Amino acid sequence: MTIETQTQNMSVNNFEQCLKCSICTVYCPVSAVTPLYPGPKQAGPDGERYRLKNKAFFDEALKMCLNCKRCEVACPNDVHIGDIIQAARIKYSTHRPSLRDMMLANTDLVGTMASPFAPIANPVLKLKPMKAVLHGVMGIDKHRTFPDYSSRKFESWFKKEAAPKQSQYSKHVSYFHGCYVNYNYPQLGKDFVKVMNAVGYGVHLLEKEKCCGVALIANGMPKQAKRQGEVNMTSMRKAVAQGHAVLTTSSTCTFTMRDEYDHLLGIDNHDVRDSISLATRFLLQLIEKGEIKLAFREDYHKRVAYHSACHMERMGWVPYSTRLLRMIPGIDFVMLESQCCGISGTYGFKKENYERSQAIGKGLFDQIDEANPDCVATDCETCKWQIEMSTGTPVMNPISIIAEALDVEATRELNK
Amino acid sequence: MKGEWSAMRFDIVIIGGGLSGLTAGIALAEAGKDVALVSAGQSTLHFMGGSLDLLGSDERGNDLFKPLDAIAKLNEKHPYKKLEDVSRLAGVAKQILERAGLATTGYATANHWRITPIGALMPTWLTLEGMAAIDDPDKMPWRKVALVNIVNYLDFPTKFLAAGMRERGVEVDVKAVILPEFQQLRQSPTEMRSTNIAKVIEQNDLLVKFADQVNSVVGEGYDMVLLPSVLGISSNEKAMQLLRLINVPASYVDTLPPSVPGVRMQSQLRRRFMALGGSFFTGDQVIEGIYDGNNLKGVKTAKLDGTVLEADNFVLATGSFVSRGLVADYNHVYEPALGVDVDDLGLDRKTWATVDVTEAQPYMEMGVATDHKLHCKRSGNVMSNLYAAGSVLSGHNSIKLLDGAGVDMLTALQVTENILNQ
Ligand code: SF4
Ligand code: SF4
Repeated sequence: MTIETQTQNMSVNNFEQCLKCSICTVYCPVSAVTPLYPGPKQAGPDGERYRLKNKAFFDEALKMCLNCKRCEVACPNDVHIGDIIQAARIKYSTHRPSLRDMMLANTDLVGTMASPFAPIANPVLKLKPMKAVLHGVMGIDKHRTFPDYSSRKFESWFKKEAAPKQSQYSKHVSYFHGCYVNYNYPQLGKDFVKVMNAVGYGVHLLEKEKCCGVALIANGMPKQAKRQGEVNMTSMRKAVAQGHAVLTTSSTCTFTMRDEYDHLLGIDNHDVRDSISLATRFLLQLIEKGEIKLAFREDYHKRVAYHSACHMERMGWVPYSTRLLRMIPGIDFVMLESQCCGISGTYGFKKENYERSQAIGKGLFDQIDEANPDCVATDCETCKWQIEMSTGTPVMNPISIIAEALDVEATRELNK
Repeated sequence: MKGEWSAMRFDIVIIGGGLSGLTAGIALAEAGKDVALVSAGQSTLHFMGGSLDLLGSDERGNDLFKPLDAIAKLNEKHPYKKLEDVSRLAGVAKQILERAGLATTGYATANHWRITPIGALMPTWLTLEGMAAIDDPDKMPWRKVALVNIVNYLDFPTKFLAAGMRERGVEVDVKAVILPEFQQLRQSPTEMRSTNIAKVIEQNDLLVKFADQVNSVVGEGYDMVLLPSVLGISSNEKAMQLLRLINVPASYVDTLPPSVPGVRMQSQLRRRFMALGGSFFTGDQVIEGIYDGNNLKGVKTAKLDGTVLEADNFVLATGSFVSRGLVADYNHVYEPALGVDVDDLGLDRKTWATVDVTEAQPYMEMGVATDHKLHCKRSGNVMSNLYAAGSVLSGHNSIKLLDGAGVDMLTALQVTENILNQ
């Protein structure tokens, strides 16, 4: 026997590396609140052995998995537990997505429909009778507040107000804004442009941008997710060919396009993967290389508690955002213990998941109450909805905090 | 972007997030250093239970009462031989735990005994508050014990536990409690685990209900109630509260893994490290070192592609084989993160293990080679700013000597002092 026997005997998603230690179970937020979920070890590597023999062993309870990947972060043996579970759902689930799931999953379609009617849609979505209809007919939990739809899409703002000014810069990046910035919260996109411009970078949109597909994967529509992913890849390739990094302001979009495209959807992204990055990471790396400098306002003060979003944790990138935030002199920084907030994209919107979703987040909400910050900082937009709804504390993306604290004139001078 | 790497700078980068790495991380952060810790998954603390061993057994397997005396007689290869003052460092370790919210009983001057999940008594150094601890194995402190389990909870083998204590002349009755809330957990037999039970009790505030049940099944006539340690996952407060609600003096006994006290140690130490301003790189792995002669300049990790972690000093605390701090293939044993030298047993695989699995296994003594200051070596050259601590070190067998936690913590503290006094 030789070394090859050992090294070439690797199984898909490392599932044979599992030594049955059960550590993953300790950190699964779903296992913690419901015994009906088989837990990561059973749903993942253990169940996979059975499923490989006979697909009848597939258990629809796997849909309770949040795909938060906290099990993977905890596993001492690098078993890709979350990937095993999602791949099994894609391969074996016979459950067809309902109208509600399709609506929740198609974030960009619904956004496109809602945006022009935002002044009507926002109050209507908040009305008790409307919530009752959504709850009863659609299965969207009545306790949920829908994120507001913006009346002017980010893309429209950008094309009119920002795009013409971008060519004056000598360095350039492309921006994958994502559905949330486009339809719900264009301010984050504007903040991003403000910061990038201040450090001397012009911002450009991709030729074509589709929703990254995370909600489609979660709601059992991998084929559509793959189609959209291919569109994104084509646009990104063009951007990368021009020497642009492709930046986002969402940890989940980033994670999906860098890792899930390849692992779950079979999209070949190897040529662009390294160029896809989170804005905070891009900025911190430039600062560390001495290529840019930030200057902050002296009158800025804020107590900020940082929440590590699940996919941020999975990418291992939390320190990029926290180190960047800590550079702001006026910030009183609190690090929250890493815990899932419970929303997991569209998961927490579903009536059947609402209670579980709130139970999962409770530990985090208690921590926030105790820390009593002016705002919570996090890199994920769905965490923002969940935390704002559940604690009443405002939540900001680190880029928005940087934009707020930035002394734009001084920064421009430093980066001339 | 591609091709050029940026660097994140720290005073110290620690590789490994278990007991050893966290101890060094906390001690260095307490001294005001900017520390980063890279951890590949969770650690063996999850199997460790509620006690920390310093030195429990001599080479021949005899229980030790006075570990400090025995440490003086250890052979020269043992990592304790690289400590300046074992007794003082042991005191510092106890304080580090205390400041992280982990109160313990016990001192390095005299071992006490812990009860293992299968009913054996083992000499140990520190035991977390609330866990059963026995001063002298020949004088059991209890006459009549009620051993209370939860119905269908399989990781607390009461038969073994009862037999172990009966052998020592203690009268033992086994009892069981059941709560409807646990009934729920039983729907999934694989998930009826200590940590999940703890979460159910703590989230639903079942303390009083649970204590009432225990009190009613136990009744009168006992001088001790022993419970499985299925409480206190985030802090010890709830676990202690339950003990106070029980009419008879009560303590916890370790369960089979995952261990709730172990998980608590892990999370409280990590919390302490973060509160001191430490940076934690979770679920990531060091894959390469960047060297300048005998100086380690920086490390690359699997996930921070594009960023090197740079520091003045580095500590390798990645653990032994179970934690993949050491890896064996067919021909040799190596250290996978930085490729530093390993004290191995040569190429003859047959000498690595003995056939009788209950015998001490020679491979356990393999580990990273260090000089007297715990500096690592590369191709025989001593590295000036790279230290090793904990079970990745060569020269001891923690299963045989019962010295695992002590080696983890004390070598980490020695490395801390070596760095601070450079
Ligand atoms: S943590 Fe990893 S090795 Fe342990 S049981 Fe889970 S999958 Fe297996
Ligand atoms: S991905 Fe999250 S929810 Fe799913 S099994 Fe892992 S820890 Fe549990």
